[in-house]
Amino acid sequence: MIELVNVPSLTTIQDLGRYGYQKFGIPVSGVMDEVSARLANYLVGNHDNAPLIEFVLKGPTIRFHSSAVFAVAGDVEVKLNGVPIEPWQSHWAKRGDVLEIGTLKSGVYGYIAFAGGILCDKILGSCSTYLRAKLGRALKQGDKLKLGYAILTGKEGKVLPEPLIPRYSNESEIRVILGPQLDHFTEKGIETFLSSTYEVTPNSDRMGYRLEGPEIEHSEKGADIITDAIPLGAIQVPANGKPIIMLADRQTTGGYAKIGVVARVDVPKVAQTRAGGKLRFKAINVEEAQELLRKRGFLFRNIKRLLDGEVRGYKIKALGKEFMVFVEKEK
Amino acid sequence: MFPQFKPAGDSVLVIIFGDRIDEGINKKVHAVANAIEKASPDWLIEVVPTYTSIYVYYDPLKLSYQEALDAIKPFLSAEPKEEKPRIVKIPTVYGGEFGPDIEFVAQHNGLTIDDVIEIHSKPLYRVYMLGFTPGFAYLGGMDERIATPRLEKPRLKVPAGSVGIAGKQTGIYPIKSPGGWRLIGRTPLRLFTPEKDPPTLLQPGDYVKFVPISEEEFWKIYKREWGEQK
Repeated sequence: MIELVNVPSLTTIQDLGRYGYQKFGIPVSGVMDEVSARLANYLVGNHDNAPLIEFVLKGPTIRFHSSAVFAVAGDVEVKLNGVPIEPWQSHWAKRGDVLEIGTLKSGVYGYIAFAGGILCDKILGSCSTYLRAKLGRALKQGDKLKLGYAILTGKEGKVLPEPLIPRYSNESEIRVILGPQLDHFTEKGIETFLSSTYEVTPNSDRMGYRLEGPEIEHSEKGADIITDAIPLGAIQVPANGKPIIMLADRQTTGGYAKIGVVARVDVPKVAQTRAGGKLRFKAINVEEAQELLRKRGFLFRNIKRLLDGEVRGYKIKALGKEFMVFVEKEK
Repeated sequence: MFPQFKPAGDSVLVIIFGDRIDEGINKKVHAVANAIEKASPDWLIEVVPTYTSIYVYYDPLKLSYQEALDAIKPFLSAEPKEEKPRIVKIPTVYGGEFGPDIEFVAQHNGLTIDDVIEIHSKPLYRVYMLGFTPGFAYLGGMDERIATPRLEKPRLKVPAGSVGIAGKQTGIYPIKSPGGWRLIGRTPLRLFTPEKDPPTLLQPGDYVKFVPISEEEFWKIYKREWGEQK
């Protein structure tokens, strides 16, 4: 069991989301950055969907009431009993140990995963917290969380190789698949969207990121559509011409025209961009986006196998860049 | 011209059945959505039916957009069943503290409060889709004689169960939330119960009938539905 000693606001339990209930108006929710969250879980030997703690900008302080193996994902200072330890590695904690997590130096969302995952009462099949409808609640001081059963031996000391650690930037190119309501925009509007730089405003949260930048011109069909669904990463453009990127806690349906949808591989990049950060958009087609997802899926599998000790990983340098290669172990 | 197919990103296929809010189009939407759900192929994540379209959420690691297109084609022939639809009665207290804007709605339309109640509680409203917030039903069929613009400044807190009017629409707030609709009444029923499966009282394709009740009846039902919860 772990106890939350100090809890910054908006610290929640999340998994990969609540699927199957959008037709009832229930948002998917789940982690904002699925890459960092999955990697944190892999580091402690969990499956992708194990419930973990998500924090925003500043991390909590946690006291361990029993032995546990944990890993922190994020560009952040971490201390165990006052001694600095590395994020992106799994560590052993024993009863009485205190884990302190500082403020993120880059990015917005950080994660703490525990071997065995956090036990929680699932609501509609998921541990994801959706504050607006009180599905779960924000964690608070004094909360005690039970961890799932896991054999801890050998789970500590796993290190994510440096080239695989996500880097959060405040200036990104975001790939999008245009549509589905492209006919609600003029050619000029689409051109503006693809050639301008947009800034993430402070008016951004788990529901969506509101952007500031050149106005996107609607066609004679206007900004409003007959209400339909809103997938993850959908970019709505209301009548004021300013795009909104819809994220984990987005409402399931909406009535503004969507100029495009962010490729799923780039959604974490959006989520980790701070207010004031800049985004540019590049159109790709659906086949390219799916190929990127397949490549990422392949990389995830290899990272998991690497951390589980099934393959070896080597850093290589070529053309001035660092790459990882994964080599099967000899049987 | 219809149905049309479009990607909405790399993990969603949209099927569009029409370009206007229409009962026939919406019935087709739900027939096809139900057929896809019933077959539950292994690549399917979930289906979100709306007024005129279906958003099919699929796993792009299992099949490409082109393959998803091919895979949904056989379901497009599904036709609405001629079953008797479910009619859900929504007991509602009109006016007073439960519907603080009913007087405005009456005045705006040159009617008496009793007229508003009668006009609002007469039709069978079709549930075209759910969305926006958990259990919120997009209802069709409100009489235009009681259409009223939204509040200029939305309320910060609207109690769960509040029945409102916004333009030519009517609806019920399932959970306590901010809101800009003109409130004309309130139902003691719970529209969203996360412990239940399905978690919502209303389902797409249902019909809703508002039934005027007294304050006394409201509290009797309220206690049964919500227990001690507020």
